[in-house]
Amino acid sequence: MTLLSVEDLHVHFVTRGLDNRIRTARALNGVSFTVEQGEIVGLVGETGAGKSLTALAAMGLLRPPAMIPTGAIRFDGQNILALPPRELNAIRGVRMTMIVQSPLTSLDPLARVGDQLVRMQQQHSRISRAEAVKRALAVLDEVRVADPERRMRAWPHELSGGMAQRVLIAMALVNRPRLVIADEPTTGLDVTVQAQVLDTLRDLVRANGMSAIIITHDLGVVAHHCDRMAVMFAGTIVEQGRVSDVFREQRHPYTRALISATPKRIAAQGFGQVGGTPPDLYNLPGGCLYRDRCGRATELCTSAPPLIGIGPGHGVLCHHAAEIPAP
Amino acid sequence: MSIATTDSAPARPGVIGWIIGLARRSPTFALGFAIVLVFAVLALGADWLAPFDPVQTFPFAVLKPPGGDFVLGSDGNGMDVLSRVIHGSRYAFGISLPAGALMVVIGVPLGVVAGYKGGVTDEVLIRILDVLRAFPTIILSLAVVAAAGASLLNVVLVIGFLDSPIFARIVRAEVLALRSATFVRAAVAVGNPPWRVMFVHILPNAIMGAIAQLPVRMSWAVRISATLAFVGVGVQAPAPEWGAMIRQGAEFVISGEWWVATFPGLALIALVLGFNLLGDGLQDLLDPRRRATGK
Amino acid sequence: MTGQAPILAVRDLVKRFPAAKGAQVHAVNGVSFEIAAGETIGLVGESGSGKSTIGLLVTRLIAVTAGSILFGGRDITTLPEAEMRALRAEIQIVFQDPWGALNPRMTIGRALDEPLMLHTDLDAQTRRKRMLEIADRVRLPRASLERFPHELSGGQLQRVCIARAIATRPKLIVLDEPTSSLDLSVRAGILQLLEELRKETGAAMLFISHDLETVELVSDRVLVLYLGSVVEQGPTEALFASPAHPYTQTLLSANLPPDPEAKLARHRALGEIPSPINLPPGCAFASRCPLVLPACREGMPASHELGQGHRAACLRIADGSNRLVD
Repeated sequence: MTLLSVEDLHVHFVTRGLDNRIRTARALNGVSFTVEQGEIVGLVGETGAGKSLTALAAMGLLRPPAMIPTGAIRFDGQNILALPPRELNAIRGVRMTMIVQSPLTSLDPLARVGDQLVRMQQQHSRISRAEAVKRALAVLDEVRVADPERRMRAWPHELSGGMAQRVLIAMALVNRPRLVIADEPTTGLDVTVQAQVLDTLRDLVRANGMSAIIITHDLGVVAHHCDRMAVMFAGTIVEQGRVSDVFREQRHPYTRALISATPKRIAAQGFGQVGGTPPDLYNLPGGCLYRDRCGRATELCTSAPPLIGIGPGHGVLCHHAAEIPAP
Repeated sequence: MSIATTDSAPARPGVIGWIIGLARRSPTFALGFAIVLVFAVLALGADWLAPFDPVQTFPFAVLKPPGGDFVLGSDGNGMDVLSRVIHGSRYAFGISLPAGALMVVIGVPLGVVAGYKGGVTDEVLIRILDVLRAFPTIILSLAVVAAAGASLLNVVLVIGFLDSPIFARIVRAEVLALRSATFVRAAVAVGNPPWRVMFVHILPNAIMGAIAQLPVRMSWAVRISATLAFVGVGVQAPAPEWGAMIRQGAEFVISGEWWVATFPGLALIALVLGFNLLGDGLQDLLDPRRRATGK
Repeated sequence: MTGQAPILAVRDLVKRFPAAKGAQVHAVNGVSFEIAAGETIGLVGESGSGKSTIGLLVTRLIAVTAGSILFGGRDITTLPEAEMRALRAEIQIVFQDPWGALNPRMTIGRALDEPLMLHTDLDAQTRRKRMLEIADRVRLPRASLERFPHELSGGQLQRVCIARAIATRPKLIVLDEPTSSLDLSVRAGILQLLEELRKETGAAMLFISHDLETVELVSDRVLVLYLGSVVEQGPTEALFASPAHPYTQTLLSANLPPDPEAKLARHRALGEIPSPINLPPGCAFASRCPLVLPACREGMPASHELGQGHRAACLRIADGSNRLVD
């Protein structure tokens, strides 16, 4: 069953420059993907590709100067973009929650961990404090916070980075959401701690039949913690499919460039074609947005690339997708 | 997510372009700048703009009310108030500009050295500055000018010295924050000697707060020099200095000749206000927190 | 290692920082290593491992608490300030954050000219020629020389920093996480550049990183640091093929290769990295080690030679019980 579907989502940032000219940054340019019940989808891409923006749009959190000229976001059958604020609030934080990048700034510094977990529950449902405390303790235990009773009384600044990230995961899971969006959940954590946190998140999502979107720039995280993946470039999804299919086929030239830019692949295959800057979002060319950096670009690429199906659920936004042999 | 933005302000070269850019973003700055500019023009063009010589006396036209030949009236010596107000702006700038320069020349290097060297050097310098600041400035300047003589140079020196600690403090705080910045470390690593690290690398990045403060302190210089002249220890009458003119005019307010004190007073208020607006505007514009979000 | 004298020899390096309430941060606790001319050493570790502190000590941007750092046979820890400044032509450093590493009010051209101006007697015209050569070498567009740092991308800025570091043809370049804050495809370009420069200039490199895969790619030898101590060191291939110290094993198993087919070991250390303030005696990893023995907490374990300069400091190695199993 499809839990979240994003269809042809466009996001523009409209600002007024110093010279009073109106400028439009086309940050998302037709993003479409779905998240099925029980699966973990990885959104991967580089800075400015639109990963976090996609998540914010899905959460209904975009505010001016961001505008959505076209597109639809359906969560559990409801159109997020058309929902009145009250109904949106009933979804956000309850059925759809988010884990953000910087744990220490995302917790309220003036409230104890336990109070924040209780507040998170009471905001959205009539639940007694005793019941809420019980559930908070249970969820802290689930995210493997040692000695939950003591941690409930801790202030955010007393937590280490890894512990704070676990508390944030607990906050995101305490209302038993159907979808968790984790935006770079382990960036800034040490490698050994990162591994623990990712394991915990995945195990909990699996055990509770939830769905998750993991936003990351780390291909290793996608390769080992996601079922499906979408590769983003300049506000478009250039390739998406099952993780094993995408890594095996790498049909979009950008996907291929990205994967071959990892040290492991460089060690094996040497330096491939690297470099290039992302296109200027204020001044996007027509046609394929990747063509300036693409070694395979032809005359054809000046027109908008079609979405070509490679296999079941595996699509590539490229004129030449069918001709590109698997590596 | 970040969107790559490039400011595409129309490029005008040099200082004028910079000022126009600032004025566009801050009306406060624009207004302050305009007021100060008006007085600057008056000061520079006083010889042509003033209808009379400011110290020429007209014995038969003592205490004439505004109107007629004397647009703003004449004072107790039969001198033209308008001409004296216009020439007074020369004293205002003649004191505040060199005093401001002195504050910067003394205060900024002290602040840079104290902030960068730290430790004992910093401790000693800051304590000395604290002592200087602990004196009530008006009393100290009165005492110094009274003791050393009421010359224009003495007024400038006193004001310049007394305010330099403010600049030392502001710059020191910025330098302290920058001292461990990566680019400063990189400058040391490349092999820069300490003076280059301090004055080529750190100073240009630590000077913004001081620049914003300068007009505010110059307004203070205008005020204090007028105060000194008003109490009779600064610039002496019949020199067309606003403070001295207000002192002279104060005698006539009771007898109804209000214009002698009022017009130099208004000029003083306007210029002080102008400097302060200029400073406030700069502060807003140069504040890094505003710069970060003000795109 | 080759037979020739090392370009850098670090002996029993110790650095402590004062912390609140008279406590001390034990950043580096007796680290020794050598770098041969032209060799690249990888320093790998997590936060609190002291790897960046070692970079700053080796370039004498901070002073040592104890120990010696011999560069070309001279102890730089006791060198007078002026002599050290002259020596900086031969020891250079590239920092992690290219956005912060350049003076925001200095054009790129002036920043690149600076090392030449400070360390050579060349006139402005000759310097300009050299500068253009260097800019071309690091594939920096010549037009960017007239620009200010905020007008360049992160990758370009890092090329500027590298250009600045190689301008005086140093014998040793310290690279402190030079690619960590860059996007993947930009990162690959920088790594490629460093690889080329290493071959061309023969400069020795100290490559500091938390990223195992990058270290594996660029280093001849690797030192694994944990809380200020070297727990394991050796030739890159040997160390990555058979990590001996339990910490190295955990670290390697926490790495996620960009390949869904790769088999992952799941050795997880217990808990988190303790604070480096007032460290207890014994092995630094004892508090998180799944194989900890009572003796581990008593004294620093001796280093075991495993062949070809591959050494690890773990008591378990003696009887071969140092392998973690799932």
